[in-house]
Amino acid sequence: MSPLLEVKNLSKNYTHKAHFLPGKQVSALSDISFTLARGEILAIMGETSSGKSTLAKIVAGVETPSSGDIWVNGQRLEKHNYRQRCQVIRMVFQDSDASLNRQLTIGEQLDEPLRFNTDLVATERRRRIREVLQRVGLLAEHAEFFPHMLATGQKQRVAIARAILLEPQIVVADEALAALDPSVRAQIINLLLDLQQDMGISYIFVSHSAEIVKHIADKILVLQHGKIVEFKETAALFDAPTDDYIERLLVTSGHIKQQVDKYAKEQ
Amino acid sequence: MYLLDIRNLSIEMTSPKGKRVKILDKVNLRVHAGEIHSVVGESGSGKSLLAKAILGFINPRWTVTADRLWWNGKDLLSLTPKQRRQVSGRDMAMIFQNPNSYLDPNSTVGEQLAEAIPAGDVRGTFLRRRVDRRTRVKRLLHRVGVRDHEGIMESYPFELSEGIAQKVSIAMAVAHRPKLLIADEPTTAMESSTRGQIYKLLARLSYLQDMSVLLITQDIGSIIPESQHVTMLYCGQLMESGPKDAILNNPRHPYTDSMIRMSMQRLDDLPHKSRLPTLPGSIPTLEHMPIGCRLGPRCPKARKECVQVPRVSKHEQHSFHCHFPLAEDDS
Repeated sequence: MSPLLEVKNLSKNYTHKAHFLPGKQVSALSDISFTLARGEILAIMGETSSGKSTLAKIVAGVETPSSGDIWVNGQRLEKHNYRQRCQVIRMVFQDSDASLNRQLTIGEQLDEPLRFNTDLVATERRRRIREVLQRVGLLAEHAEFFPHMLATGQKQRVAIARAILLEPQIVVADEALAALDPSVRAQIINLLLDLQQDMGISYIFVSHSAEIVKHIADKILVLQHGKIVEFKETAALFDAPTDDYIERLLVTSGHIKQQVDKYAKEQ
Repeated sequence: MYLLDIRNLSIEMTSPKGKRVKILDKVNLRVHAGEIHSVVGESGSGKSLLAKAILGFINPRWTVTADRLWWNGKDLLSLTPKQRRQVSGRDMAMIFQNPNSYLDPNSTVGEQLAEAIPAGDVRGTFLRRRVDRRTRVKRLLHRVGVRDHEGIMESYPFELSEGIAQKVSIAMAVAHRPKLLIADEPTTAMESSTRGQIYKLLARLSYLQDMSVLLITQDIGSIIPESQHVTMLYCGQLMESGPKDAILNNPRHPYTDSMIRMSMQRLDDLPHKSRLPTLPGSIPTLEHMPIGCRLGPRCPKARKECVQVPRVSKHEQHSFHCHFPLAEDDS
């Protein structure tokens, strides 16, 4: 059986505009290939400007690749066929404040993807929205709220609700946990794991937090200067990082843990 | 004597609906000279506001009241705005979360650092001052652990990596040898290896220059390992405060306890992909602050007494505000 997602020889170049001369080419990603199986969590790690956000955006369809293909379920994703892409891949952004429209109620915002991508009538759409809000731990009444009436954690839940509304198979999360408070972050991680269990979603996580990646990811893809340095199972990579760069990324600052452990031993 | 001694500091503001809300509610904080003190709180806990109140950047529409806001034995609240500005300008400095957003994008790092050097420090003729300033900038950069001073001085802020940019901003902050450095979430968006470097630098500067550091952070897992004291804030109320070891090993407040258990560093103890411990509910908004102990609705140990604000309980230096504290360890 073909894997859920297959990325083949993907590359992305940006061109600096020059007035008369041909522009200077900058390669953001080159020759990226990887696969993602159903129900798996893939973490993309790398230092700043290593191309991890660009890769996430290309997979989600926010940007178009310069060359290379993306295949989902043995089917090639066409460049501008957003309807096809929306049904299988959705994205959650870092800043839920900026990704929600503050002039529309939550219900209206959640209605949009359904209107554009499905043939459901209004009553069915409303029922779907109610269900999805309850699934992410909000109330059906939250559909009438405007984004500013909600707390940060609740807004991130709405963003996740919007992502799972079309029942996609892959959700791309670009630093979706980085800006959250510790208690909210733990809640959102639990929610994402629950959704994975219930709906069999695969996640692509862009993150720089080694602790979170170690806890939830099945596989890790390490990028440096737009190239893949390593693509491996999480446990194997954490046990034996293959070079200095990877080791530096995977450092988990453990002083609290050390102290608590030491104290437990003394007891 | 304490360098900074705050007792019952409250800040009150009027919410958009005309209700008076206490955004900081009777907060105590004491910082010794040369000490690293971590203030931990989630968003909306008023931790940045506390820093602003110390520095005196307060919106004139907010009312600040305190039984004591002493700096080196001087009452800051009785000073005129001009005197207050002089004290904060001379003795305090602050660094922020995203260094690239407040370094000037139009001038090189060298020029900006030269500006940060106090005018009284360089004397002599025009040329002499120029040379002096340059050597001082060089020394400053070395002090914050930047080796390639030539390259960094010539570059613009956008060319720097976030770790170097934060080091440059620390260099600007310590240029006039402040007695207190307030670091407002300096490493929140950084990788853990860069965070480690910044923390080592802060600890070393604090040790070498006898400078106090007030580190403000979201997560108890990301406090400086060298910090001596930890203060926990939640929604503007003080939850627990005390020496770091006491807080980490024997938290008495349920909030501290759950924050430690939620800390990402404890994930290693859990099986892969298992659910994490968490507090139910979400942080209340300003208009909907619960009465009494503001943790009440989310607290696992809450009972009906919690609608009253709990009184402070003290055990040596360790103080906490809770009606039903966790049991003390006998050891």
